[in-house]
Amino acid sequence: MPSFSRFAAPLLASLLCVAGPALAEVTVSDAYARAVPPGQSNSAAFLVIRNDADEAVRLIDAASDSAGVVELHTHSEQDGVLKMRRIDAIEIPGRGEHSLAPGADHLMLIGLTRVLSEGDSIGLSLEFSDGQRLQLDVPVKSIMATMQGMQNGHQHHAE
Amino acid sequence: MKGSPLKTLRILLVLTAFLMAGMTAAFLLRPGSADAPSLGAVRLGGDFQLQSSSGPVSLADFRGHPVVMYIGYASCPDVCPTSLAVMTQGFRRLSDDEQARVRGIFISVDPERDSPEKLAEYSAFFHPNLVGLTGTREQIDQVVRQYGAYYRIAELDNSALGYAVDHSSRLYLIAPDGSLAEVLSHNITPDELSAKLRLLL
Ligand SMILES: [Cu+2]
Repeated sequence: MPSFSRFAAPLLASLLCVAGPALAEVTVSDAYARAVPPGQSNSAAFLVIRNDADEAVRLIDAASDSAGVVELHTHSEQDGVLKMRRIDAIEIPGRGEHSLAPGADHLMLIGLTRVLSEGDSIGLSLEFSDGQRLQLDVPVKSIMATMQGMQNGHQHHAE
Repeated sequence: MKGSPLKTLRILLVLTAFLMAGMTAAFLLRPGSADAPSLGAVRLGGDFQLQSSSGPVSLADFRGHPVVMYIGYASCPDVCPTSLAVMTQGFRRLSDDEQARVRGIFISVDPERDSPEKLAEYSAFFHPNLVGLTGTREQIDQVVRQYGAYYRIAELDNSALGYAVDHSSRLYLIAPDGSLAEVLSHNITPDELSAKLRLLL
């Protein structure tokens, strides 16, 4: 099938061209780290990761300028018992997104090197299975503030 | 092939008894549903004594106040602070007079990491009426049993945390007379909680 390969070659070439810019196809939104009371050595960061490539990609590592170690964690609930465990990777489906949210997957900030207070921000870097790296500046939010915001939203609806 | 029908019946009865015993055990031993202050004949709740940063504290010290109690641990990054935020936002929904009369208790099942002093600082972050308590393993296990809660220290070989604490996550609503009024899901909203507190004021 010579005609097929004549078409296939340029097609393949153009696909490879698309694969080039794909290096910027993972984006992050709504990122925040949780403020902690003084004396707390651990916290968590939450964010939404969007993958605009066709292929799934995995978040495989993270680091922060404000914590000794950052681990990928997940929560599970069984019969009312909550368990938090470290996981090796978090997959973001192709043309999809994955939320790291309270009660579910999160970035665990272990060994905080400073107190995280509302209004601060921390540096966070993410590493993905295809070699992409994202460098983020993430705001610190107090849980009371996030919850109050949520409630005000609810109240607004009710009124 | 043919056994006596009576024998077959006896075997069936024994099997049924085993099955029912198993189901009963599973029911009694399960971590508990969110709204059952008693499991069968077992009455949940009761007095206990633990340690605060300013000395021993028992539930009897809270007589006359509606109390919301939570059992968890302070280095819990997510579920515990969320539940404590719901509790204290529930308090803030009340009028100043009402709010002055409600009390919160946070019990840590992780005394290795949570000293009473650390818990005092942690609790004050949420609300001035929230006290942080912990105790010896025996004291902690007693409260946990009394309230039908659950926790387990899980060693984590692959994490810098060293260990995690698997735990049930519920809010215990205690009446001013010290009796357990209701066991609430941690998914309750602050509005729902404040409405329940008003009924006890
Ligand atoms: Cu975690």
